[in-house]
Amino acid sequence: MIPFEYRRADDVSAAVDTVARNPTASFLGGGTNLVDHLKLGVATPEHLVDVSRLPLDDIEPGPDGGLRIGATARNSDTAADPDVRSRYPVLAEALLSGASGQLRNLATVGGNLLQRTRCAYFQDVTTPCNKREPGTGCSALEGYQRYHAILGASRHCVATHPSDMAVAMVALDATVHVQGPNGSRSLPAEELHRLPGDEPERDTVLEHGELITAVELPPLPFAANSAYRKVRDRASYAFALVSVAAALDVDDAGTVRDVRIAFGGLAHKPWRAHRAEAALRGGPATDDRAARAAEAELENAEPLAGNAFKIPMARGALTATLRRLSPLPTTR
Amino acid sequence: MTSTVAGRTTAATANGVGSSPARPDGTRKVRGEFAYSSDLWHEDMLWGATLRSPHPHARITGVDVSAAVAVPGVHAVLTHGDVPGLNRYGLEHPDQPVLADDVVRYRGEPVAVVAADHPETAQRAMKLIEVTYDELEPVTDAEDAVHGDVAELHPGGNVVRHAPIRRGEQTPQADVVVTGRYEVGMQDQAFLGPESGLAVPDGHGGVDLYVATQWLHVDQQQIVAALGLTPEQVRLTLAGVGGAFGGREDLSMQIHASLLALYTGKPVKMVYNREESFYGHVHRHPATMYYEHGATRDGRLVHVTARIYLDGGAYASSTGAVVGNAATLGVGPYDVPNVSIDCWGTYTNNPPCGAMRGFGAVQAAFGYESQMDKLADACGLSPTEIRRRNAMSEGTVMPTGQTVDSAAPVAELLDRLEGMPLPQPGSTADLRTLPGGVSNTTHGEGVVRGVGYAVGIKNICFSEGFDDYSTARVRLAAVGGQPAVTVQTAAAEVGQGLVTILQQIIRTELGVEQVTILPMDTSIGSAGSTSASRQSYMTGGAVRAAALKVRGALLSHAATRLSRTTAELHLDGGKLASVADGVLADLVDVLGEAEFDETVEWRHRPTEALDPETGRGNAHVQYGFAAHRAVVDVDTELGLVKVVSLDCVQDVGKALNPQAVVGQIQGGSAQGLGLAVMEEIQTEGGVIRNPSFTDYLIPTVLDMPPMNIDVLELADPHAPYGLRGVGEPPTISSTPAIVAAIRAATGKELLRVPVRPDHIV
Ligand SMILES: Cc1cc2nc3c(=O)[nH]c(=O)nc-3n(C[C@H](O)[C@H](O)[C@H](O)COP(=O)(O)OP(=O)(O)OC[C@H]3O[C@@H](n4cnc5c(N)ncnc54)[C@H](O)[C@@H]3O)c2cc1C
Ligand code: SF4
Repeated sequence: MIPFEYRRADDVSAAVDTVARNPTASFLGGGTNLVDHLKLGVATPEHLVDVSRLPLDDIEPGPDGGLRIGATARNSDTAADPDVRSRYPVLAEALLSGASGQLRNLATVGGNLLQRTRCAYFQDVTTPCNKREPGTGCSALEGYQRYHAILGASRHCVATHPSDMAVAMVALDATVHVQGPNGSRSLPAEELHRLPGDEPERDTVLEHGELITAVELPPLPFAANSAYRKVRDRASYAFALVSVAAALDVDDAGTVRDVRIAFGGLAHKPWRAHRAEAALRGGPATDDRAARAAEAELENAEPLAGNAFKIPMARGALTATLRRLSPLPTTR
Repeated sequence: MTSTVAGRTTAATANGVGSSPARPDGTRKVRGEFAYSSDLWHEDMLWGATLRSPHPHARITGVDVSAAVAVPGVHAVLTHGDVPGLNRYGLEHPDQPVLADDVVRYRGEPVAVVAADHPETAQRAMKLIEVTYDELEPVTDAEDAVHGDVAELHPGGNVVRHAPIRRGEQTPQADVVVTGRYEVGMQDQAFLGPESGLAVPDGHGGVDLYVATQWLHVDQQQIVAALGLTPEQVRLTLAGVGGAFGGREDLSMQIHASLLALYTGKPVKMVYNREESFYGHVHRHPATMYYEHGATRDGRLVHVTARIYLDGGAYASSTGAVVGNAATLGVGPYDVPNVSIDCWGTYTNNPPCGAMRGFGAVQAAFGYESQMDKLADACGLSPTEIRRRNAMSEGTVMPTGQTVDSAAPVAELLDRLEGMPLPQPGSTADLRTLPGGVSNTTHGEGVVRGVGYAVGIKNICFSEGFDDYSTARVRLAAVGGQPAVTVQTAAAEVGQGLVTILQQIIRTELGVEQVTILPMDTSIGSAGSTSASRQSYMTGGAVRAAALKVRGALLSHAATRLSRTTAELHLDGGKLASVADGVLADLVDVLGEAEFDETVEWRHRPTEALDPETGRGNAHVQYGFAAHRAVVDVDTELGLVKVVSLDCVQDVGKALNPQAVVGQIQGGSAQGLGLAVMEEIQTEGGVIRNPSFTDYLIPTVLDMPPMNIDVLELADPHAPYGLRGVGEPPTISSTPAIVAAIRAATGKELLRVPVRPDHIV
């Protein structure tokens, strides 16, 4: 760990200014990811601006009837919020499936969105990694790949984004509010994270110094019928191999009126499954159609030698999730 | 129990052998008040740090410490040239450098050590040490290491030990033959307290070391050799141990901290963090095993042929003994007339492997029990029936020619397991009972149940002619108007509860309630290691023997004073009593000012080395047996497994402390579950990819089911109280039983543990 200066921010624009003006400065949320990276030598900021006590932790109805979640709301509080639980259960479930109670008590919405990949090479400073040190190469291409991407990867990086929460937000069409040195802007959660392309060092489209201030969930009545499912190596306290966030709107005849699906564990970003959604709309939500929808989404998957199992696993996960949300009798 | 004699009653001393009194360390541990080795503190102490090799195999071409030495606050930076004695150590062979000299053989090998006045200063200085390496091709495959054309990592080649076992016909004919190749991944002991200790120089060239370890005296021997000192100059005291499971049998920071303390003249503390801990201790040997089982049509074993490769990694550690176990126990708890086993333990550039709970026996059991299920299938028998037909029993001759001369109730273990109620179908109301648990992955759809059985065998105590002994001192005197006993041994309490057992033994033998266990240190003779399920047997045996000597001396003292014969006297509940007349006197009055103090060096009956050509020999002193039945629910859609129940029957000879026995069975079974479905140190080209508890997964309470446990007590006449070592057997059969259940549910072959979702979807 290199020596650094720590400052607690008490004002949003001052915090933004401090970080924006200094390329070696970083925001600090709950610290559950960044502090690990300081210890591992993966991150070497010289100034930490602690934003976790900024007054950005409210969870309140949005202007259009949605829900606005402040960026410093702790993961535990967000998961326990009555509105989140009743109107957007997928988000509560996603949060609760992540990390441990202790970590969730510290972790913030902003930090969770911007947590970095768990790729073993990224976290091991003695190995080449384009994300950590652009141009050094990607060790995972010939290495340990169980947790790596099957969709949207590049030859420069095959990492996945590890957040569970973000998958639910992308499925829900959330909007991310950001404050930067030149004012504020908003962007769809789906567009926050990038595919690696030839710049894997950039996880998101944010510029240095841009602070996430809130995430806004749109009013989406059928999100009350939503779920998050996570497939992992241990029943708790493990990252996803594959996960699915889904919300389903079906009519009385069992026909899918609308659906939202996003996958975790498959790509460098939470993977919004537009093709699968299109394949499902207008027909019954049967196991068969769910499996075919997953296949449509995964048609272009390019699994690595060590993670081809993710294809059947993702198909199974989507089928199982929709089956749970659908009123149709199971067809298995 | 009370005995009524002549109208006067003596209450049997409470909390003796067979009861489950509170542990003396229990409350403090639960309340977080127990001092572990990482809590050690000394005024004025320095902090040590270790620079480790980033390469699995490289030649060191230069080391420059000047920048590190120049850091303010740094007191010493030491490299191999500063090791005053032998720059080699090792449990069985001194083949491991204290600090690397010319070649590094694994990633994480210590190259230099630093002492500074602050841990962070030590870390920073360490990073300023410049080491230049010529990288060499690492050898990472154990079979290649034996048969391939690869670099010799040590003089004499890459085979640490080859143990052949030959019995009966070597080209037998069988009606039914099944073969398989099985792999076991590298498991970590995953103890919670990382390696740590404090070395305090005595100002006269010697050092006192406080350390969490499993075997004080063998640590001492290795430290003495490296420092060029005498045993009197290097005194060790056991510090609070946060778990061990074999991972503390080898040295970690012991020599380094002592070296720094002697060099700086100041106390030096070293504590590894979790990542360093993964590099700082040995792991369970990964195994590749080729098995062939032959049987008659009705399922009676004709032969077992096996080749077993155990990857010992960069240094020998206890590989030799692990090989001995895997070879001699390689057919499992079965009676097999014709056996041909070859087991190799090798050097590679993988992390060093050595002792871990069940060592050698765990790997082999996954092989032979997988084979027994295959054979059952081929013969059209149930898994329990094939095992019963071949079960060994008292009197069975092992493949080594050794006759099993105490209870070996393999068939009974299976009968009892089968008699236990099977769990009800999973309730979909409680997600925790389903595969994936609270991950919400299934609510019962796509879930298939499977049941699997396995039996395991383990040698207890040290084997193959090792002079295995323990030393105990027992002192009885009146203290504050009460009879009180102090017990001194060097036996490491690592969390298993030995201190409780020793108190119980004294209560039973001397009828004294108040028993103090002194801190464990090297001021008394060796107790041997806290491993091989041996401490209740060995140190329990030694303490009992010393207590009997004390009792003998006390009774003859009393007999003289009271003009009685020693034969009619006994001790109970703090009283001296006679068979005929009941209580004669309070023990405290009999004692008066007298003090009875006895030290005993106690041995189990001798064992023999194995013949190097045939593997024949009475190598083991005792065998332990456990059997498991696992019931799993598998979500076949997602590949997730929930172990629904994991029932166990084990023969323990005599349960000295029934609660501790159950604790060992639960813990061992959980460790076996970990190996079955999640625990593996991922190595790649000799490098560990998951050195953290975020990435190395161990079971949590959500993964471990409740257990039905049935404990048999079939006394072994050769052992103290008839006991049979308890700690390891439940780890052995747990893994294959779970995998068998997953196979039954999925129809998959599953030739490797841990089984992952990848192997099922
Ligand atoms: C053992 C372990 C297990 C875990 N398991 C899971 C899991 O299963 N699923 C899962 O999803 N996650 C898991 N996590 C990750 C955890 O969710 C994240 O560490 C946490 O959400 C990060 O939040 P934080 O506030 O602590 O972020 P920090 O560590 O403080 O920050 C992370 C990053 O975000 C930046 N940042 C923080 N706040 C803002 C802001 N408002 N605006 C802009 N930038 C900001 C920081 O500069 C930093 O780069 C696990 C973590 C650990 C340690
Ligand atoms: S996958 Fe990405 S993060 Fe991992 S080693 Fe390759 S470049 Fe680095």
